[in-house]
Amino acid sequence: MKFTISWLKEHLETKALDEEIINKLTAIGLEVEEVQDASALYGDFLIAQVVDEEKHPNADKLKLCKVDIGGKVVDVVCGAPNVVKGMKVVYAPPGAVIPINQMKLKVVKIRGVESSGMLCSEYELGISDSHDGIIHMPENSNVGGLYIDQMNLNDVMIEIGITPNRQDCLGVYGIARDLAAAGIGELKEIELPKFKTVGKNPINILFEETSNQKNYCSAFGSRYIKNVKNCESPQWLKDKLSSIGLKPISALVDITNYILFDYNRPLHVYDADKISGDIIIRAAKKDEIFLGLDDKEYNLSEGMCVIADEKQPLGLGGILGGSLSACNTNTTNVLLESALFIPANIASTGRKLFIDSDARYRFERGVDPNSLNIGLDRAAKLIQEICGGEISESQICGTIPNNEHDISFDLLKNTNRLGVEIDQSEIESMLKKLGIKITSKKDNLICTIPSWRHDIHGEADLSEEVIRLKGFDAIPVLPVRTEKRINEKILSDSYKNSLRSKRFLAHRGSNELITWSFTSSKDSKFYIDDQKLEIQNPISEELDILRPSLIPNLLNAVKKNSSRGFESFSLFEVGNQFFSDQSGDQKNIACGLRAGIKFEKSWRTEKTHYDTYDVKDDILTLTDHLIPQNKKIEINAGAPKWYHPGRSATVMLNKKTVLGYFGELHPKIMKFYKIKSRISVFELFLDEVPTKLKKTTNKENYIVSDFQAVDRDFAFTIDKEIEGKILINLALKADEKLVKNVEIFDVFEGESIGIDKKSLAIKVTLQAFDRTLNETEIQEVSAKIVDSIQQKTAGVVRS
Amino acid sequence: MSNLNSISKNIESEKKLVKDIETLEKMRLQFLGKKGEITILMKDLGKMDPKERKAKAEELNKIKDSVNNFINSKSDEFEDELMSNQLASEKQDLTLDSKISDGRIHPITQVIDEVIAIFTDLDFCVAEGPEVETDYNNFTALNTSENHPARQMHDTFYVNSETDGMLNVLRTHTSPVQIRSMLEGKPPFRLIAPGKTYRCDNDQTHTPMFHQVEGLVIDKTSNMGHLKGCLETFLKEFFETDTPKMRFRPSHFPFTEPSAEVDIGYRKDGNQIIIGEGDSWLEILGCGMVHPNVLKNVNIDPDEYQGYAFGVGIERLAMLKYGISDLRTFYDNDLRWLKHFGFIPLDIPSISGGLSR
Repeated sequence: MKFTISWLKEHLETKALDEEIINKLTAIGLEVEEVQDASALYGDFLIAQVVDEEKHPNADKLKLCKVDIGGKVVDVVCGAPNVVKGMKVVYAPPGAVIPINQMKLKVVKIRGVESSGMLCSEYELGISDSHDGIIHMPENSNVGGLYIDQMNLNDVMIEIGITPNRQDCLGVYGIARDLAAAGIGELKEIELPKFKTVGKNPINILFEETSNQKNYCSAFGSRYIKNVKNCESPQWLKDKLSSIGLKPISALVDITNYILFDYNRPLHVYDADKISGDIIIRAAKKDEIFLGLDDKEYNLSEGMCVIADEKQPLGLGGILGGSLSACNTNTTNVLLESALFIPANIASTGRKLFIDSDARYRFERGVDPNSLNIGLDRAAKLIQEICGGEISESQICGTIPNNEHDISFDLLKNTNRLGVEIDQSEIESMLKKLGIKITSKKDNLICTIPSWRHDIHGEADLSEEVIRLKGFDAIPVLPVRTEKRINEKILSDSYKNSLRSKRFLAHRGSNELITWSFTSSKDSKFYIDDQKLEIQNPISEELDILRPSLIPNLLNAVKKNSSRGFESFSLFEVGNQFFSDQSGDQKNIACGLRAGIKFEKSWRTEKTHYDTYDVKDDILTLTDHLIPQNKKIEINAGAPKWYHPGRSATVMLNKKTVLGYFGELHPKIMKFYKIKSRISVFELFLDEVPTKLKKTTNKENYIVSDFQAVDRDFAFTIDKEIEGKILINLALKADEKLVKNVEIFDVFEGESIGIDKKSLAIKVTLQAFDRTLNETEIQEVSAKIVDSIQQKTAGVVRS
Repeated sequence: MSNLNSISKNIESEKKLVKDIETLEKMRLQFLGKKGEITILMKDLGKMDPKERKAKAEELNKIKDSVNNFINSKSDEFEDELMSNQLASEKQDLTLDSKISDGRIHPITQVIDEVIAIFTDLDFCVAEGPEVETDYNNFTALNTSENHPARQMHDTFYVNSETDGMLNVLRTHTSPVQIRSMLEGKPPFRLIAPGKTYRCDNDQTHTPMFHQVEGLVIDKTSNMGHLKGCLETFLKEFFETDTPKMRFRPSHFPFTEPSAEVDIGYRKDGNQIIIGEGDSWLEILGCGMVHPNVLKNVNIDPDEYQGYAFGVGIERLAMLKYGISDLRTFYDNDLRWLKHFGFIPLDIPSISGGLSR
């Protein structure tokens, strides 16, 4: 909402400085978003006259002008095609700042000729986009005078943001009332216009008789004004509209706009000669066509409110006028409308048709019912003053609702709500200035809420009025800590798992990303069967569904960062994955990705790449970190379809819970992304990870053997298909008492041992609790290990 | 005695032959080994009569001690020499590097962890809720009816699923967690709800996904003074300044009444934002007393219970505290940015250990 200080002062008697007014507006909830002080912006610019012009000696397109700036003639180089001798212009002297580019002018030499100042175009002043030529000021302009005086720009324009509850401040008068209540001056009463009326409205106006009339329009007031002469608005009116950025159109239209912004009262004027027969206020029919003032055709649906004649809709009630009955310079008879439309209906119609108009904005927030008559009369009077004509008696269809209501305001509760006791007389005085009538005193005030306040329904609303006018500074700062703690559990298990996972993975060298919860349906086809995940109104095609997996966004991050030159990727994200578009059908996942170079070739290492074993280590150490004890983790071959079937596995907890998957991504996904390297990922379902399996924090008993441990190495040639885990288990079971640990330390494949074979070398650690093992015992265990492995795997021990 | 004399002579000549640890050991064996010359003489002492033994033993011990002393001192000398040789040979060029790079924690995570640390200390618990929400929880229960103009300002994302005939939405704020928490439990409540929120808006200063933290306190006495105290404590702790400048401005949220927006005072020093100084203001959060209608919607009697709620943008907090100037970079996933603005994983914010370093 824009207005100027001088406009405000038409309704507010105040001696407050501009700055006080601006600060107070923000302080009472009418947040100032912009202040434009034209005198500061244009204060240096003068009206001048070109007394002579000739071609620039060194440039074809430039002219050398002698410019009279009021008793003094200066030289100015100008490139405008329209500059001619005798023309009155806007002159910016050296030192002035050009609004459009903030350039400070200096005396400069242009192609060898000194130029003192500049002749300005509308573009340079920031008035319009036109820079075809410099501004041509009217002949009667005062040479040497200030541009702001000539243009009546000595004013400060203020733009405030109005929160949706404050419909009462969508007019300058309402803003003045709020400021007066906050102690900035006195509100001036609006003078009720007096004029003579001639006869009745000759046009018959009626509601279509339906039961749901109340759903779209409660009252329709009008006056007929005949024999008007529509013309250009007088200067004061044009200036007023221009000052808040509106383009003057014609007197009839300008007057309705003026009343809208001044008094928050939307009005409409119809060219009465274009109306066929009666005016009918009715619901639109399905697929009825309406031609708007904006020259657009709208396809209406049932229930929208139209103002129609006997043939067709002439206006979309409370939202947009129609072009068929629009006023123009030939208009001689006028029907002036001041109506009251129902907010919900206006909101839904505006939303469906995508029309944002000043009228819709006000009606959907709620307009003061009592402004209907005053607005109608103020506009009629102004039309008569400017355009002449005879005004009919007013006609009101329907009823103007009385929406005044009482609230019992308990002052003790008010104090308990606000945390500060405010004097009763002060409260009464502030509320009264807002137009609230107070009829009963004692501890409870009976407050009658005026017709223009649609946001005050209960005591809490009155508390807000009191504290916003009093100022929040009055509220003391009270301690937030309480004597007794009420929360026993701070974080859910799943949340704890998230926090721990993030820190753990980052500590293992992975970088935490946060990517959109959306992703592209194209990229996601690998992860989806038939889940419904579409977003109805996506921000773009690339983000059209809820993510069914965290992998696609991480892959896009890999692509993006490869193009930035990265060759090594250790990334993870902890966040939600969606299983459908139902509320709550989401799970918390830790997803890690490793790809590219693990170690660069350097003076101490060979170049190596990340592979499946790195993400296996990630998921298993993370699981171990999250569940430190009492668990049995198993790795089963195979994982969902987005993994490489031969290079992936599922991690199981205690044989029944799927904790997650890891492995290399399926080559077809790499092909889709045109990524050449292999990418390994893991996914861990954090909601499935118990944070504590046991009640006790005690660890299991642990006995250390002080007797010497010995290591023995064995190598076996076995079928390629046999997994290493089988060898390890066989060796462990060969003597459960003495075999303490088995590790695979070498894997070899090569033609020398046969293409379907491989060699696995294991290191076995033997140790007893009660003695040092002698050579015979060691030999015995070794033989058991070799026998068992050879038997069960048909392998051959290598010597 | 002649034996002793010849030994002493031998010792003196052998001493001259000692060049290193090996020749020293050879000398030790020659005189003090099991069959060493001195050892043999010591054994012979037993055969002598007591008088002779005493005199000889004295002499022999003297010789033995002198050999021991020589060997010990030489041994130290050689050990030192060996050590310095080893050290000299093991010299490394430490201008070379071998880095194992660690990962980084995203600033959003770090800031949420800081917020949790602060509010945990103030006896708030952390509540959670789903990101696909019902229209009822996201709007209606929060006193925002279907035609409320505030709904249009939210630029809501819709999905195709419905609850009670209304399309489900991606939550536009963390406030529906208030509703879920109050429906599940019984007052009093002290909770925060950090999380992802969504609005259909995408430009320089808006991202379609962002993070908020919601706060809710419901009991029988908490009023706007406590709200002020709560936010002042939070801002003080979060920005790690003793003098946060706060400004409350009246505003409007359908689910609080009275409602306010809070600005924080700052000044700019080059690109740096200094909180608590200067006289520029930046909007940082919205808050207010929970609207009686909201309490009614979750079956809490507004005549008995009251309290406050607030909502803060996490990105805004991170930008102010850590000097991140562009909102969009949070979701650009540029690893260079993350190396610069990300956090070392073991810098876990806590009240005892400090929020930031």
